[in-house]
Amino acid sequence: MPKPTKGPRLGGGPSHERLMLANLAAALFTHRSIKTTETKAKRLRPVAERLVTFAKRGDLHARRRVLSIISDKTVVHELFTEIAPLVAEREGGYTRITKLGFRKGDNAPMVQIELVLEPVTPKVKRSSTRSTASAATAAPVAEAPAEDEVVEDAPVEDVVVEDVAVEDGAAVDAPAESDAAESDAAASAATPVESTEESDTK
Amino acid sequence: MAVPKRKMSRSNTRARRSQWKAEVPNLVKTVENGRVTYSLPHRAKVVEDSAGTPLYMEYKGRKVADV
Repeated sequence: MPKPTKGPRLGGGPSHERLMLANLAAALFTHRSIKTTETKAKRLRPVAERLVTFAKRGDLHARRRVLSIISDKTVVHELFTEIAPLVAEREGGYTRITKLGFRKGDNAPMVQIELVLEPVTPKVKRSSTRSTASAATAAPVAEAPAEDEVVEDAPVEDVVVEDVAVEDGAAVDAPAESDAAESDAAASAATPVESTEESDTK
Repeated sequence: MAVPKRKMSRSNTRARRSQWKAEVPNLVKTVENGRVTYSLPHRAKVVEDSAGTPLYMEYKGRKVADV
C-alpha cells in the first residue's frame, strides 16, 4: 500500500489536488520539461511515472485509465505514441528533477522536472572499476624504486596528496583535475613524482 | 472569535523574537579557471558567456533550463 502523503493537500482540497496534478502531468507530457516548485514536482513524479507505465502497456484499457486522469485526448495520444516508445527500454525512473533556485516573489524553491527520453545506457558493473582502481594503486608500487621503506610509505602519501588536492583545489592542480574522471589519471600520474621525492628525501 | 485579553509586553515580544535565527548555508567551494566561487550543492548553476550575460542553467554538464 502506498504511504499517504504527509501534510496538507496541494491547492484547497483533494479534488483540487487531483486536478492540479493531472494538469501538471499533461503539461509535462506536452512540453517534456516544465518548471515548477519543488513540492509540486515531488508530488507529480509518482503520478506522471504511473501514467508512463500505463502508456508503455499501450492497450485500450490502459488508455482509458489514463484518460480518466488526463482528460485531454491529444496529450494522451502523444503520450502513448511518442513518449512510450522512447522509454520502452527504461525500467522506471522516467522523470528527472533538477533544483534551480528560489523564486523571486515568494522565495519558493523551484525545480525543472523533465522526462528522461535519452536512450538507456546500462550501468557498468562495479567490479571493472575496482579492477582499474586496484591497477592504478598497484602501478605506483611497481614503479617505485627497490627501497623497501619508500614502497611502504608510497600508498600513504598517495592518500594524503589526493585529499589535499580535493579539499584545497590548489590553483596549480585544479585546472588539470577539473574533471572527476580525469582526477584518477592525474593522481596516478602524480604519484610517481611523489615517490621520487620521497626517495630524494631519504 | 478569541482575542488576546492583555497587551503583550515588550519583553515577551523580544524574548520570542530572540529565537529567530538565520542558518548558515552549507556552501560548496569550486575553483574554475582560477576563479573561486561558492554555491549551494545539488543545484543548477547559471552559465555565463565572457561578457557576463547569463545564457542558461547547467547541472552536471547538462543544460536543464533557461534563465
